[in-house]
Amino acid sequence: MRILIVGGGIAAAYMANRIKKLSSDADVLIVSDEAHSPYDRIHLCALVDKSATIEDISLAVDPTVQIALNEKITSIDRKSKRIFSEHSVFSYDKLIIATGSIPQTLFDISTLKNAAVFRNADDCKKIAEGIGDREVLIVGSGPIGLELMETLDKMPNVKQVTLLVRSDSLYDKQLSPQARRVMESSYLSGGKITISYEDEIVEKEIKNDEIRLLKTKKLQIKDPFLIFGVGIKPNVDFARETLACEKGILTNTKMQTEDPDIYAVGEAAQVKEFDFVAGHVKECTLQADAAIASILGVEERDFEPEVMIDMLKVDEYELIEVRSPEYSPNFEKILITSEKDHRIDEYFVENDKLTRFIGINTNVDIGYIESLIEDGQTIDPSYLYENRLIGERGRLICSCEHVYHQDIVDAVTTYGIENFLEYGNFSEAGRVCGKCKKMVQDVISDSQHLIDPNMPKKSPQDIEIEKEIALAQKRIEKYNRLHPQNKLDSEQLASSLDAFDISTKEVNSWISMVTATMQLHPEFEGVVKDGVNHLNRLPIIWLELADCSGNSEAFIKSSHPGIADLIFDYISLDYHELLMSASGDQSETVLENIIKEQKGKYVLIVEGAIPMAMEGKYLRIGPQGETGLELLQKCAKDAALIISVGSCALDGGVVAAEPNPTGAVGVSEALGREDVINLPGCPVNPINIVGTLLSYLMFEELPALDQFNRPLWAYEGRIHDNCERRGHYELGEFVQEWGDEGAQKGWCLFEMGCKGPYTHANCPTMKFNQGTSWPVQAGHGCMGCVEMGFFDKYANERKIDEE
Amino acid sequence: MPDHKKIVIDPITRIEGHLRAEVEIDDDGIVQEAYVSGQLFRGIEIILKDRDPRDAGLLAGRICGVCTNSHFRGAVSTVEDAYRIEVPKNGEIIRDLMSLALFIQDHVTHFYHLHLLDFVDVTKALEADPKMTSKTAHLYSAKPYANSHSHYIYVKEKLAKFIDSGRLGPFSNGYWGHSEYKLTPEENLLLLSHYLEALKFQTDISKAIAIFGAKTPHPQTIVVGGVTSVADMLNPQRLNEFVFILKEAKGFIDRAYIPDMKLLATAYRDEIKAGAGRSVGNFLSVGGYCFDNEHMLFESGVIYDHDLETVEKFDEQLITEEVERAWYKDDQPYYTDLNEDGTLKTANKDDKYSWIKAPRYDGKTMETGPLARVLISYKQENRFIRPFVDEFLEFCDLELLDLSSTVGRNAARAIETAYISEYIFKSINRLVENIKYYDTETWSKYTFEELPKEAKGRMFLEVPRGVLSHFINIEDQKIKNYQVIAPTTWNASPKDSRDQRGPYEEALVGIRLDDPSKPLEVLKVLHSFDPCLACAVHVIDIKGKEIGEFKISANCTI
Repeated sequence: MRILIVGGGIAAAYMANRIKKLSSDADVLIVSDEAHSPYDRIHLCALVDKSATIEDISLAVDPTVQIALNEKITSIDRKSKRIFSEHSVFSYDKLIIATGSIPQTLFDISTLKNAAVFRNADDCKKIAEGIGDREVLIVGSGPIGLELMETLDKMPNVKQVTLLVRSDSLYDKQLSPQARRVMESSYLSGGKITISYEDEIVEKEIKNDEIRLLKTKKLQIKDPFLIFGVGIKPNVDFARETLACEKGILTNTKMQTEDPDIYAVGEAAQVKEFDFVAGHVKECTLQADAAIASILGVEERDFEPEVMIDMLKVDEYELIEVRSPEYSPNFEKILITSEKDHRIDEYFVENDKLTRFIGINTNVDIGYIESLIEDGQTIDPSYLYENRLIGERGRLICSCEHVYHQDIVDAVTTYGIENFLEYGNFSEAGRVCGKCKKMVQDVISDSQHLIDPNMPKKSPQDIEIEKEIALAQKRIEKYNRLHPQNKLDSEQLASSLDAFDISTKEVNSWISMVTATMQLHPEFEGVVKDGVNHLNRLPIIWLELADCSGNSEAFIKSSHPGIADLIFDYISLDYHELLMSASGDQSETVLENIIKEQKGKYVLIVEGAIPMAMEGKYLRIGPQGETGLELLQKCAKDAALIISVGSCALDGGVVAAEPNPTGAVGVSEALGREDVINLPGCPVNPINIVGTLLSYLMFEELPALDQFNRPLWAYEGRIHDNCERRGHYELGEFVQEWGDEGAQKGWCLFEMGCKGPYTHANCPTMKFNQGTSWPVQAGHGCMGCVEMGFFDKYANERKIDEE
Repeated sequence: MPDHKKIVIDPITRIEGHLRAEVEIDDDGIVQEAYVSGQLFRGIEIILKDRDPRDAGLLAGRICGVCTNSHFRGAVSTVEDAYRIEVPKNGEIIRDLMSLALFIQDHVTHFYHLHLLDFVDVTKALEADPKMTSKTAHLYSAKPYANSHSHYIYVKEKLAKFIDSGRLGPFSNGYWGHSEYKLTPEENLLLLSHYLEALKFQTDISKAIAIFGAKTPHPQTIVVGGVTSVADMLNPQRLNEFVFILKEAKGFIDRAYIPDMKLLATAYRDEIKAGAGRSVGNFLSVGGYCFDNEHMLFESGVIYDHDLETVEKFDEQLITEEVERAWYKDDQPYYTDLNEDGTLKTANKDDKYSWIKAPRYDGKTMETGPLARVLISYKQENRFIRPFVDEFLEFCDLELLDLSSTVGRNAARAIETAYISEYIFKSINRLVENIKYYDTETWSKYTFEELPKEAKGRMFLEVPRGVLSHFINIEDQKIKNYQVIAPTTWNASPKDSRDQRGPYEEALVGIRLDDPSKPLEVLKVLHSFDPCLACAVHVIDIKGKEIGEFKISANCTI
């Protein structure tokens, strides 16, 4: 798939890397109208004062991503799926527009030598080179203007800077006069800066492409250097003819434009449902994630505006803003200020709920403010007052990741982190927009003395594993709380094992085997064992639909002497037609009870196909004669997880083989759901069921799945690649007919129609019936029973080309 | 029947597949009429049509995952019969070893895991005295299995925890406390301790099947002309492993399964003597399993109406099938639905109510399975099985006819298991003898392209639940028609045009339900047949006349 990204900013780089990470075979091309590879605009100030070069702030892009520079896109041809620049044409399967925005000016400055905007590297160059000893006039007091002003203030060659503000406040016109005073004083103290409120340009003299004189309502500036910071608008003109646009390009919540193959993200996009245009890096990455999920068809998610946190840090003050997407100007304000500490907390309240907070040099717990806004709680002003000085987690450091000073200190002391690089294993703080990177580095180096020198040093891998284990442990512990009424305990399992003369050593080796099967690091063994002990906490419904009971049989016969049997005994298999002692009404009551009482907690395992023809009446179950489909739907509705076992549950299996007389389908299709985990096989290897249950207990997320929703740890390897007879294949030693010399010597079965080369499963390593054998070992070869539609494709003893 | 109350039991658990039973009882709780219905149709024979006959085995094997290698072997043998391909001796023996190991596994699993809880009250076992339990065991065996005092204490503790937790898992919501439970606490505990041992037993015995079958359920080593597991056959270690597992199995059968059955037959003696659960009295067996180049493990024959003294010769031409009361019309599925309230439509004499067709022999309903095999082989003077039957009957003071009852059916199954677990060693010896004298052939060569374009075949095979027959009609080297009559097709058959009940139905009529809301008695009867519904449902296709066109070859190789 060829994915084309237009734009050269953080969004473009982030998406290219993310796509490559999730789908390495995607073909990704970035087309940018700039001369430089994507770089981090947050650090533009560093280009102005030349404390950094463009290379220093360039963003890392996956080396397999192609980048085309100096290509300004002029039009899109949706029909032929191509985009055009002045000189070139690029084709795409999926197009992502991330062109950001263009700064606005009050008059055309494109030809002027001493006027600029402040948006890209070229602007910085123009500013840095053009200032000379001119007086700088910045128009606009938003965060960008203020940041630039601070930078210029510190540059020795800049003699005088004037800020022209249309309103009577800084940063945001809703800010209080008290706040303005605090901010203002920090700028004016150096004597280089003048701020002119309620002022605007009224007249200008231009000669030879240079502004000679600027007249404002209140001032006159000769030979100035003018910088506009008055706002931005989405950079989407090239798309207006081809795609529906308002402010930006209109998208749905998956960031898809009216053309399903074209996406728009970031400042160029306008999410129709929320009438929302992004302004923060975090919002852009959320949108990018939604778009990528939709393009790659992985865990679909929708973009939704979230509570945003913004920061402005100046030497003498720090401003933090927290804003709800629901914020509107119809607010009332609660102000808590301290002149002495230069501290101002401004609470914007609407209908008794907090919609925005701006704090200058604030000490409140921003995390609390955030949750207050998110949860929409009614605010309690006296509580806000009482807690105005208590920010337990310290200052907010990273507004993108919401990481506080104390969080970093804790990480440093707990894991012995020495530098920013190591810290990356734990948090993205300082890495999303990069604005706070320096602060994160400072906190890390300042807290080095807190590290216990006796703490053993761990590699990033160790730490990664430790983190995952901790997470898994936590997840398992959750089950302790879930079913406290359950008196079955792990001691019982232990004593059962004991009674069957199964030693701890044997159990441990079984655990190691399971851990290895699940492709987990050996360090996980402890937590796997814990998971096994918790299996009884998981209520399980096992439904048999249009099946042969083969998978149930296989599960009972499990794969290791005794242990798995006992575990099976131990698992809370609350409903299973083959095994339970209740029948008829009684068994139905059991089922109803689990569905009701364990709502959202039970695991549903389904064996067998679902006949859909004749309104599903080829299968009826229970006193009311429910169809198989109805029963499945009833059980699936409130299941925490659905696992389909065996090939019939995957895609109908043998029941759906040509001509599929009963219209049979698999579980996923019958339910119209894509979150069913498939464990195919005819029958499934029981170890894969145990492993899947364990991984469900241990990890928040589903295991990594392939395109057929089969867990990769079990279904990734190709039979042919792990086959014990592979050596004979390489040597050209093939069985030519059943029972011949080659058959007696165990040669390769490819000529006898073995489907190992087309089949993905862990049979060669796991084998069946306590590792006794598997189809290749027993001289028959593989018949591809884990693959889609195998009965019509693979279930024979002939090579595929003979078919 | 307005004054009869109807009881619906669905799902019937602890069986393979989707079975429903509806019984009509009078005021005394006595069953006046019964309807047994298969509730799932998959159409495997329809799927088999137009395929390469060599692929029939892998596909037909999926008819059932419990009788797992029966249909696999059956289908391959049917194709071989059509093409007149003779399987080499070794191939036949390996197939037999897999089949016989399946008999053992299936019977033990059935008794302990699928049927035992109809006789054993889990909650009552808690009152048992471990020491007395140990003594009880000695009443039925000289060397009882796992009979230590401390073992029973452990089992009791484990059960107590299960019950205490209020979450009995597979034990949940049984009919505990029902008056039909007749065992003492000690007897309950004894049998439950073997329930747990049997879990391990069946894992081990599965391993034996997998040695020659690659895996079970659904082995994968039988091909038209022979078997593929030649390397395993030639590996002495694999053979030893097989022998070792079977020896262990025999120990469990002799020291636990048979004694448990004797205990049950003693405790339920009144019921046996009253003939509870007795069915139609017509029995069918096709015999088979040549274990020493000469003798068969089971004899073929037919018994009518419990007349044990007259065993008729089995004649395959007498098999017919009917679908008057089953959801088919001619050879097509024809579903007439359930009533609005989900019950079976049975009001009229021609209402259809099951996916199972009605096979008949000489126009009669037949019971097939271990009971039929034991009765017919015994009366056909099979001198090998006789001591096993005699010993059991003598110990329990029963007559041969008494086996035709709910508990007796189970006794026949246990006797057969003990018999097989001894004679399977003769088959192994035969295999070893062959190999020793350089006969390593496992496959009969043929060239598919040179085989006749049109052919018909059939095979009859005794499998754990009874007589299995497959029929094939090949045209232009493709399957034109395929047809299966499985043991459960015979036993769970619905009524026919003459209103003759199927064996399940007949066995249910006349039993008395103590508490209609807890129809344990019905389950007990049905479970005693070891129902396997996935096997049972098959499309009708062959009319009685056509079967006559097949020729029975009267040698050992069926």
